Amino acid sequence: MTAKADAVIIGGGVHGCSIAYHLAKKGWKNVILLEKGTLACGATGRSVAGIRHQFGTEINIRLAKESVKRMERLEEELDYPESIELMQNGYLMLSYSAEELELFRCNRDLQKSLDPDNQTEILTPEQAADLVPGLNLEGLYGASFNRQDGHASPFHVTQAYADAAKRLGVDIRTGVEVTDIKKDRSHVTGVVTGKGEEISAPVVIAAAGAYTKPLGEMLGLEIPVIPERHQVAVTEPLEMFLGIMVISFAHGAYFKQTPHGSLLLGVGDPEREVKDFNERSSWQFLYDVFEKTTFHLPVLREANVIRQWAGLYDMTPDSQGILGKTEVEGFYINTGWSGHGFQLAPAVGQVMAEIVSGEKPFIDVSCMHLERFERGELIPEPACV
Amino acid sequence: MRIKDHPIIDFQRGKQVTFSFNGRQVTAYEGETIAAALHAAGVRVLSHSHKLKRPRGFFCAIGNCSSCLMQVNGEFNVRICITPAREGDRVEMQQGRGEIVEKT
Repeated sequence: MTAKADAVIIGGGVHGCSIAYHLAKKGWKNVILLEKGTLACGATGRSVAGIRHQFGTEINIRLAKESVKRMERLEEELDYPESIELMQNGYLMLSYSAEELELFRCNRDLQKSLDPDNQTEILTPEQAADLVPGLNLEGLYGASFNRQDGHASPFHVTQAYADAAKRLGVDIRTGVEVTDIKKDRSHVTGVVTGKGEEISAPVVIAAAGAYTKPLGEMLGLEIPVIPERHQVAVTEPLEMFLGIMVISFAHGAYFKQTPHGSLLLGVGDPEREVKDFNERSSWQFLYDVFEKTTFHLPVLREANVIRQWAGLYDMTPDSQGILGKTEVEGFYINTGWSGHGFQLAPAVGQVMAEIVSGEKPFIDVSCMHLERFERGELIPEPACV
Repeated sequence: MRIKDHPIIDFQRGKQVTFSFNGRQVTAYEGETIAAALHAAGVRVLSHSHKLKRPRGFFCAIGNCSSCLMQVNGEFNVRICITPAREGDRVEMQQGRGEIVEKT
């Protein structure tokens, strides 16, 4: 059986749902979103979902500023009856060397040069400890902090976009895997699903995180995205004591406390992780996360961990997203966010909808083109784990 | 209520210990959990739900469900269904989610 669509979006994470909403808002009528599992079941839902202005490349600073602004009013914009659980009390980046602190200063200067309202400040270790009671000062050089940063619930943000997209007519299908993408010479013509259904469409947008690479291979495209497992431990709910998100690039660790009271403690191990699609959690991680996060915040020794999960970063050679057209006409990609993608979905969704509609995107993302790897025009993002 | 006669299990009770529950003295047999002793003493409400503050009773009894979290000797979120009662323990019903306290 063959169905027809004007556009097919592959991936029901926060990016796929944001693209769906923004396309529908532009007036696209027959849009189908295919998700092989459930909404936000991949990297989105497994993310610790930090939100920050504190980036080190112009493109991310622009996308972040716009995205944070939208997160602040997302329930209103999308008419979402629940809360996206935005906690906007700040985001603290710990620095463990003079070089790293200098990098944070450069990042702050770049942020302020692009946005006079940017609130990023460089703190002394003592000032950082005022924000996080019990913070271990050992080895700490200083920190970068922005009080307008924070975190949210990736499930609610995704659901909010999905619900709004559905109301505008997008057909969201979960439990439907794409097993093949078809093209006719140089133009994409549609997709085949695991249920044997063919959907013909002149536009196919892949927003499937690390799984975008095998999707590209269906069209003979090489998309340099590799999966990298990161894991999260969840503590029992505790009375709120940590209002801000904390990250240490030096240790590859980050943590936050959700409004529900649980702490989410995240750690990645890029050096030792096998780069495959393993999404299972491991017992070794529990040792690792305990060692790292109790170094930062020794009182965490007393918290009981109740469960854990793992998810996949979609890493690119420059830790930067890949956006836009490909050499197969009609086939667009939005992937490679390397661990900081959740927070940028509000702006990127609109950018993608504009690109697909043949318009000039409201933020110039041409530097994020897939061809930059061939041309050697990398745009390394220094502020990420 | 305590089961005294059981068709296949022979209960060997240890010696009696006494602990306090919300300031009141409760007797347990050594080896018994705090929750078992409270149940025997007629205590049926062990905690309250966070949002609607509805009563929560003795439920899973194997340390999984969080229904019986109490403060024991100052430590929050102790699962009293798997924690043996000891002489002189100070057990208190917990308000809210519990705080993280550095052990001294």
